[in-house]
Amino acid sequence: MSYLPYVIGAYAVFVVVLLWDFLAPRLQIRRELRAARLRAQRVRRPAAADPQGELSR
Amino acid sequence: MNPVMRWFHQLGSPPYFDRFAARWAPWCFLAALATMGVGIWLALFEVPADYQQGDSARILYIHVPAAWMSMFVFALMAFYAAIALVWRIKLCEILSMACAPIGAAFTLITLATGSIWGKPMWGTWWDWDPRLTTELILLFLYLGVIGLYHASDDRRSAARAAGLLAIVGVVLLPIIRYSVEWWDSLHQGQTIRVFGESSMDPSMIAPLWWMVIGTKFWFAGSLLARSRADNLRREAGKDWVRRLSGEST
Repeated sequence: MSYLPYVIGAYAVFVVVLLWDFLAPRLQIRRELRAARLRAQRVRRPAAADPQGELSR
Repeated sequence: MNPVMRWFHQLGSPPYFDRFAARWAPWCFLAALATMGVGIWLALFEVPADYQQGDSARILYIHVPAAWMSMFVFALMAFYAAIALVWRIKLCEILSMACAPIGAAFTLITLATGSIWGKPMWGTWWDWDPRLTTELILLFLYLGVIGLYHASDDRRSAARAAGLLAIVGVVLLPIIRYSVEWWDSLHQGQTIRVFGESSMDPSMIAPLWWMVIGTKFWFAGSLLARSRADNLRREAGKDWVRRLSGEST
């Protein structure tokens, strides 16, 4: 009996789970930094806009 | 102050930890890939097939290190959680909670590879054997810790609750370890010993140690990367995170 499919299957599971473990924090770090950048832009934008725009006629 | 103590104090600073983790995580992953690469090469191409199990015995080179890691990571998670609960050290909370998904990943590998090995050897994918069942409970405990930590927006109280579950869950570790001795078990007993003579042939044992070291490096890299991500999340809105994101103030 050939055990090759079982060996390949087991090593594939190992690689796939570790790949997920490698990628998941990287994506989360990228998401956090992007959120921080967008937050900073939101804070800066009203200050850059015309302060009298909507309220003065 | 003692330089080692000073370094520990510095590590507690979120921006310092971020730089430390960003610097060392890739090196840990590289070391893991190198050592596991050697281990897998030896396991698949150098080691002779087992006289009874044939090539299916090659699965143990990923199954056993993953099983050891599943318990080691849980113990470490509980250790960090205990420090965090007693001394309220935020970094230990982060480290403790970062352990959970990594430990769950290793537990999943253990269960899946064990199941794949069990099909040709035992004739079944699964059996409610004491070792298998307790390992499955370990996976549920990991999932419980992850779930508890993400159940609340208040990260600190969530980490305390999840940490408490981790500490209580430690009681499962000796049960997993001795389950094959305490109960009649389909799972084989201990064949590999860190201290003392293993019942495994010496010609087959080298890849196992490469994989054991490799998984430790992998864990260190993953722990740093995940802790860094959680640290950034907790510190969102702080100036140093804004600077890091490339947005000048």
